[in-house]
Amino acid sequence: MKRSALYLAVAGVLLTPAAQAAAPADWNAVPATEITLFYPGVAAVEWITKGTEHGGARALRKGETCADCHSDEARDMGQKIVSGQKLEPSPIAGKAPFINARVQAAHDGQNLYLRFTWQQPAASGAAKMDEKNPVKIAYMLEAGSRVELAEQSGCWASCHNGVRTMPGGDEQKTKYVKDGSLAGGVYYDLNQWRSGENKAYDGHIAEARVMEGGSALQGATGSLSNGTWSVVFTRAFSGGQGDVTLEPGKVYSFGFAIHDDHASGRYHHVSLGYPLGIDAEAPIVAKRL
Amino acid sequence: MKDPEVRPSAFKRLLAFLKRPSAHYSLGALLLVGFAIGVIFWGGFNTVVEATNTETFCLSCHEMRDNVYPEYQQTIHYSNRTGVRATCPDCHVPREWTHKMVRKVQATRELWGKLVGTIDTPEKFEAKRLQLARSEWARMKASDSRECRNCHSLESMNAASQKQRARKQHEMAREDNMTCIDCHKGIAHKKPQGMTEEDEE
Repeated sequence: MKRSALYLAVAGVLLTPAAQAAAPADWNAVPATEITLFYPGVAAVEWITKGTEHGGARALRKGETCADCHSDEARDMGQKIVSGQKLEPSPIAGKAPFINARVQAAHDGQNLYLRFTWQQPAASGAAKMDEKNPVKIAYMLEAGSRVELAEQSGCWASCHNGVRTMPGGDEQKTKYVKDGSLAGGVYYDLNQWRSGENKAYDGHIAEARVMEGGSALQGATGSLSNGTWSVVFTRAFSGGQGDVTLEPGKVYSFGFAIHDDHASGRYHHVSLGYPLGIDAEAPIVAKRL
Repeated sequence: MKDPEVRPSAFKRLLAFLKRPSAHYSLGALLLVGFAIGVIFWGGFNTVVEATNTETFCLSCHEMRDNVYPEYQQTIHYSNRTGVRATCPDCHVPREWTHKMVRKVQATRELWGKLVGTIDTPEKFEAKRLQLARSEWARMKASDSRECRNCHSLESMNAASQKQRARKQHEMAREDNMTCIDCHKGIAHKKPQGMTEEDEE
């Protein structure tokens, strides 16, 4: 064989893995999980663990997950809260009670690909909290169940009374986790895409929410077509500080939220905790492509 | 020696009458009549007691009519798909005779409260709501929610007919041998402010 052909063949073999590291060409082939995001009002972790307010506090103490009781009624919860009937001292007229989203997950051994699709709800007409971004979408990952309640509640362990946008909250205080510590491995990995800025953020939540510093998130793209959003995150299995390392065969605490209608802070629609498995049995599974 | 001229007191004359053996009527007749009168009196007593076990009677006090009754009217025990109801006595007065009598005697204390007006204004009622609620919760817990179980049976619940959350909670209740009132505080009246961890179960 000619030497140049040999070099070409070797180059081809070496370059192939990099060429494979791309989002699925046909997302229709990837199974989807339907998840209803609901408007959570002021239901902080302090509320959900208080037995005299929330009958499920007892179930949480027993190790049950939020979804175990609530997965069928996310719609109803959103309606009840958004109307101000419960857990919402300042209801926003016209705000969507829930968003029906679909999550698709896949991986190729190097990257995790997450695709979220949902119908854009009608605008409420309320004042814009985030002028720049009509829509933001974020998810949190947690490994090892070191964050208390992460396994059961998804992102909820980061939501507390007294933080910004909560009633009587401190404008300077962000989401945080109890006993949060990057060094101690007690943190959520946070990935977000903002529509206006068209930018992806890779941060974490330990003692506070830090929007930067992660390196696992390779990028995110999003588009709105015929009233349907489609956002795809490409996240390498491992990164650096504040990045949860993903491994095939393992299950990770997972939850996501959409800030719709120029919302910010607590005015988002959230999912219950639905663990994500990489080639492992879980409510959301990322199978190898 | 007694003065034969002074007539004995009415009470002494009654006693003498009762002690005198029957001159005209047979023992059988006396027993039958006595039995019949006993039935009438017992029936009368029972009728009066049962009259105090009605929603109408409870609502004759404005303390109940203006505070807890409107709250109860918003709940499922007042109005629901099948129209099967529980009114005040169904939850607050035991059905079994002995328990009922005990409760009735305890309830005479409420007559005193009514007299001195311990909860005769909305403000006074709110101030005492937690104490009143706790007293009822304690009574229900001590009797293993006996009044609830007059109608509801945890064992006979058809899990398939229940919503997800109810199904799960009742499963746990069976597992942990809980009693209805452990979770169902506030089922008929507003939950009070100031509940603490001890009130959780």
